[in-house]
Amino acid sequence: MDAVIEVKDLMKEYIIVKKESGLRGSIKSLLFPKKTKFNGVNGISFSIAPGEIVGYIGPNGAGKSTTIKMLTGILHPTAGSIKVCGISPQADRKAVVRKLGVVFGQRTQLYWDLRLGESFELLRRIYQIDQAAYEENLAILTDVLKLQDFMNTPVRQLSLGQRMRGDIAASMLHSPSVLFLDEPTIGLDADAKHAIRNFIKEINRTRNVTVILTTHDLDDVEQLCSRIIVVNNGKIVEDGPIGSIIHKLTPHRMLVVELQKPCQDLTTPHATVVKQEGLKIWYQFEKESISASELIAALSQKLPIQDISVKEPNVEDAIREVYKTTATV
Amino acid sequence: MLQAYWYITKMKLLTNLTYRFEVFTSVATNLILMLASVFLWQTAYKGGAGAAEALSLQDITTYTILSITISTIFVCDVQNTIYYKIREGQIVTDFYRPIPLLACYLAEDIGEMFSALLNRALPLVVFASLFFGVPWPASFRNFLLFLPSCLLSYAILWLLSALVGLIAFWVMELGNMGNVKDSIVRILSGSIVPLWFFPESVQTVSKFLPFQYTYQTPLGIYIGNTSTSEAFTSMAVQAAWIGILYLILAAGWARTKKKTLIQGG
Amino acid sequence: MVSTIKHYVSVASCWARLAVQRQLEYPLFLFSWLLMIPIQYFSGIWMLKIIVDRFQALNGWDFPQLTFLYGLGLISHGIFVVFFINTWSMDHMVINGGFDRLLLRPMNVFFQLVASYVNFIGLIDCIPGVIIFLYGAEIAGFDWSLANVGKLILVLIGGILIRAALFTSLGTIAFWTKRNGSMVGFALTMLERATMYPLSMYPYFLQALFTFIIPIGFISFYPAAEFLHADSGGFDLPLSFALWTPVVGIICFLLAGGIFKFGMKNYESAGS
Repeated sequence: MDAVIEVKDLMKEYIIVKKESGLRGSIKSLLFPKKTKFNGVNGISFSIAPGEIVGYIGPNGAGKSTTIKMLTGILHPTAGSIKVCGISPQADRKAVVRKLGVVFGQRTQLYWDLRLGESFELLRRIYQIDQAAYEENLAILTDVLKLQDFMNTPVRQLSLGQRMRGDIAASMLHSPSVLFLDEPTIGLDADAKHAIRNFIKEINRTRNVTVILTTHDLDDVEQLCSRIIVVNNGKIVEDGPIGSIIHKLTPHRMLVVELQKPCQDLTTPHATVVKQEGLKIWYQFEKESISASELIAALSQKLPIQDISVKEPNVEDAIREVYKTTATV
Repeated sequence: MLQAYWYITKMKLLTNLTYRFEVFTSVATNLILMLASVFLWQTAYKGGAGAAEALSLQDITTYTILSITISTIFVCDVQNTIYYKIREGQIVTDFYRPIPLLACYLAEDIGEMFSALLNRALPLVVFASLFFGVPWPASFRNFLLFLPSCLLSYAILWLLSALVGLIAFWVMELGNMGNVKDSIVRILSGSIVPLWFFPESVQTVSKFLPFQYTYQTPLGIYIGNTSTSEAFTSMAVQAAWIGILYLILAAGWARTKKKTLIQGG
Repeated sequence: MVSTIKHYVSVASCWARLAVQRQLEYPLFLFSWLLMIPIQYFSGIWMLKIIVDRFQALNGWDFPQLTFLYGLGLISHGIFVVFFINTWSMDHMVINGGFDRLLLRPMNVFFQLVASYVNFIGLIDCIPGVIIFLYGAEIAGFDWSLANVGKLILVLIGGILIRAALFTSLGTIAFWTKRNGSMVGFALTMLERATMYPLSMYPYFLQALFTFIIPIGFISFYPAAEFLHADSGGFDLPLSFALWTPVVGIICFLLAGGIFKFGMKNYESAGS
């Protein structure tokens, strides 16, 4: 199947003015500003197939937002090519944005002083959605996102979660085939997060909408994304299914054992003791060389075991590992 | 205590110096105003007109240059500060700060004043000197009298601003009345056209208002249109206005504080 | 083509309706404007009267003619403020992401920028403008012939286009600098001094600047000189000035459109 998004060797260069501190520095940079170049995005390539939900993650300043802004036609890349639905957003912005829905979690596109429904009505005209299709679509969105209670409330009176649901509905009114979500769950309570995640799954399943999600909330990633792309310092450092990335980055697992009474010799050739707290002992082992049950069997022959549990590494550990290993500029 | 205020002043000075672009355009804006006004006066005085006036073309040119220059130094952001703090409900938390609020705002404005002296007033005077010659005072004594009079003028303007900022507290939806006050001050202070040129009736009324003591008084002293004894009288009037305005502000501020702390904003 | 126009008209009228609703949310806010604007402009013309009465006509411009000029400049300012006020706050739109949002919609960006806020409050500027202009026209003996009314309308349209071009070009600077509020203040000051006072009182160099480089002399000064047969300063341009204003306006506007397009290519957005 043809890719919805095709990115090749994308680069974006920025010029930054360095400010110096102190009175002397202020006067100096007032007269002779120091300028340096730096690559916010430094040679990124990937392609995304229709219907994928991709998590685009990385630490602050990694180049996530810049990439999203280039994909949606807001920024022009310094070099490289972008095709969204086969069209370059830089060459034909209007054609591309018709197919896109974009939500910036920290910025609303709704009018602060007006009722939610009025912002929707404006969008209906902007996207030239025909009345019947609009009403049908709005009914579905209202139902799934539960907008009916605050459709006629001025946006300034909405809670953050309500506003975010309104914003997502606004970006879906014209039935886009690709949805970009930049930090959609930032600052929301558990209920609102849950509603939004459900909605994303739902539209992905029923309408085959491709979703690209940037977030710092790794629960979002774990629950929604089949694939993650990790960027750092303007480069892609990992790209693949979540499971294999976790596996690759954190080959260790942890076995936590609680003893009935203190013992002298805790060592075993299959694992290393990494932590000990009273009767609780943490063993770290390679999942390639020994299975958990084999290790348990080996230990139980040697030690009086009261309780036992195995800890799987999670996505957070994996990501932290990535940031750590790629942190140097 | 004083150290805290000095710190506020210094921080404001430093942040202001970093906005390169703003500085250039602000100087340019005031330069345009200055050029336009001076050319207007030159046209009015052309061909010997106004020879009978008490003020010569040189006097009025100096008056105009100085008027615009001191207007860049007289920083009164307090009206906006109070307005926004009230609108955003931040004033409540500010009341719990350990040092008096109004003094903080004053320290901030003074910090801006210092930076304005460096990066606004100074270039303006340099440019004006290049175009129209150095705007010397009438005499060294006039210059010495001009300085304290300027300080008193600033005090009046600052207190007026703080009072206008307080209006927001009573009628919030009214928006920022600072602009209204500014346009009244601009005319009645004689900052554009000296009040001496106004009709007699306006001059009489104006004597009983604080506005002419903000610009016309120090500028009149500077160009020597006011004698030394008159200068002292004017400064006494300035001081009296400062007293009156301060009392009104103190009363208004106390009520504001009480109401805010009771209502919790 | 017809459907495109229909589309744009439908969006523009929706935006206009929403703008009225938004402005009426804060009715008392209008009040401070209603106080300030008339004070500012009536006092401005009063200052001119004081000077002219005390001294002499300004380069041959007597008080009636000055009033006519002042009013004409103010009306075109007022109408501009109603339709193009968003060009003043492009720096805010860059910083708060509003501009990003315009780029995400399938419509012309400049159209969206301008149409998304019709500033009805700006009509307040037109009130003193119209009063001063009508009074000036009366005492200066302006001939209200059909031809003159037609020319007047052309002049107003041209003048508004020149203003729009100027502020659009300035606003584009915000794409690089992220802040240009002070430039707007600068341009407003310059415009006021060059459109509401006779250009001929400035030195030759400034007259040339405001005629050929930043042609704001065409907004009100040259047309007023033509209408009232007053002194038009150092330059004798061929043809009737009243016809020059719309031509200059259209050229400036197209140029500004080019600058705006170039700016969008280099637009850097802001924040994360």
